[in-house]
Amino acid sequence: MTFFDVITRGLKRRPIRTGLTLLGISLGIAAVVALIGLSRGLVTSWTAGMKERGTDIVVHNMRGSLTPKPFPAATRDRIAHLPGVAATCMILVDLMSVETAELMIVSGREWDCFAWENLKLVSGRMPKDQNERAILLGTTAADILKKKVGDTVQIETEELAVVGIVNGGAFVENSSIILSLPMLQQITGNHDQISAIDVRVTPGVNDAGIRSLCAEMSRLIPEARAEPAGQHIANSEGYRVINGMSWGTSLLAILVGVLGVTNTMLMSVFERKQEIAILLALGWKRSRIVQMILWESLMLGFFGGIIGVLVGIAGVQMMKMAPAIRGLLEPNLSAGLMLMAIAIAVFVGVLSGLYPAWRSSRVEPSLALHG
Amino acid sequence: MNSKLSESEQTAASPFVFEAAGLKKDYDDGQVHALRGVGFKVREGEFVAIVGPSGSGKTTLLQLLGALDRPTAGTLKYRGESLLDLTNPASYRAHEIGFIFQAFHLLPIFTAIENVQIPMFESHQTRAARKTRALELLNAVGLAQRVNHFPAKLSGGERQRVAVARSLANSPSVLLADEPTGNLDSESAKHILDLITSFHRDRRMTLILITHDMSVASRASRAIQMKDGQVVFDGDPAKLSRQG
Repeated sequence: MTFFDVITRGLKRRPIRTGLTLLGISLGIAAVVALIGLSRGLVTSWTAGMKERGTDIVVHNMRGSLTPKPFPAATRDRIAHLPGVAATCMILVDLMSVETAELMIVSGREWDCFAWENLKLVSGRMPKDQNERAILLGTTAADILKKKVGDTVQIETEELAVVGIVNGGAFVENSSIILSLPMLQQITGNHDQISAIDVRVTPGVNDAGIRSLCAEMSRLIPEARAEPAGQHIANSEGYRVINGMSWGTSLLAILVGVLGVTNTMLMSVFERKQEIAILLALGWKRSRIVQMILWESLMLGFFGGIIGVLVGIAGVQMMKMAPAIRGLLEPNLSAGLMLMAIAIAVFVGVLSGLYPAWRSSRVEPSLALHG
Repeated sequence: MNSKLSESEQTAASPFVFEAAGLKKDYDDGQVHALRGVGFKVREGEFVAIVGPSGSGKTTLLQLLGALDRPTAGTLKYRGESLLDLTNPASYRAHEIGFIFQAFHLLPIFTAIENVQIPMFESHQTRAARKTRALELLNAVGLAQRVNHFPAKLSGGERQRVAVARSLANSPSVLLADEPTGNLDSESAKHILDLITSFHRDRRMTLILITHDMSVASRASRAIQMKDGQVVFDGDPAKLSRQG
């Protein structure tokens, strides 16, 4: 028998209570995994989309929301000539309700710019020109809308033909409805307006050069803001609100877990007062008793963390299928997030065990000779 | 009688294990006087029975001898060193003292062999050594066939035998037994008493045993009778019996 056996037996003696405590802590950890995974996924999926398009810098006007606010297309002329800028592509992007889908990414792109290059045809063809009343569907978007080449899709009041299904190489690209910029400007009434300028820098421009270019572009276009691709999401107020709410909700759930484990361990210490006294009478040091309680608490946290991660993954998979989210979010369930969640659970376990452990250290060994 | 004299002769030259003088223990802010100036000495290898009615202070005395509690006043030495100055009472309890309790106090979530190993966690033995030692002790108390049984599956006598084995885990030099036969039927009680006294005799251990039972006390080489927190008799158990 090892000290570890002593700890695990301590947890097994009240299986229902231990199980309920594990459930409590695992729900908190599941909330961390699901909510933080989803909010981080927002950044990583958009960043991946940008990377696939070959975009290095995004000029946008996305301050208080997740979707950028339109600004004049003419502003592009102020930055296109800058040294280090290889190409630019004007984009109008919006989140819209399209037919049966509650929210879809609709991306209008300047005709013939680099943002079309990453789109690999899975079926059908590319639009003939920017005036054709045609759209491309990313593979996921086609799946969500249940459309194939030859079908039509109604966007606002316009009915457009699906001429191709494309693989854009990234979740956001595959979840989008893609059409020419003038077509979307006309449909949404945003004439001569765009919501982003994708900028591709010349080869050899490093991160410092990109940051310098961003500063220069932001200066030249005060009505918008230039940031390295991906950061525009992470830095947006909308994302910060989502991230903050995710952490806030998670921390509340974790707090409930802390209280649950503390309660369980405290009850366990009270119930085992005489047993602890017997262990002290048999020669156990108080520090070993404290270690025993802390390890039990830590184990609750650890296993609660593992269960929580699994529940969180399952929860995210279900949330992904929800009509309001499907196709919009690709959760970032990275190994780092899992490890962080388990580390939080272990920390919660130790934290929750501190007071019960202190109480256990106050038990008098003379209690062993009573009763 | 002759064997007792012979035992007395043997222990007469032995050093003192315990030396108590003026021991007092109060509870409830001095409202309850459990011990009122107790003094005695116990030599190595002695078998001392402590008798007396409930509330006479027997258990309190055992607590002090086992460093489970501290006296309110008085001195208590173990092998010449004050127990009150112990910096590590846990180590004293782990290595010098073996406890046997009336209610056995086996931990229900551990098997017999695991219960015997509990005190060995403080003796820095390997896992294998702990197991070997526990098996050896359970074999010595006649429970070799019951090592993997949980306490709930053992009879009262068997549980107390496990507790006896546990008390010997770290080869202590003193056994402190609190009414070890109090919860047993007469046959099991006799068996346990035989077992404890045989260990006391064979391993030259000092045995201090609390009992209500005069027949149990009569097997000791010396009896200390307590009443109202004081020693009222200290001598040959046979004389104690005559006094009633």
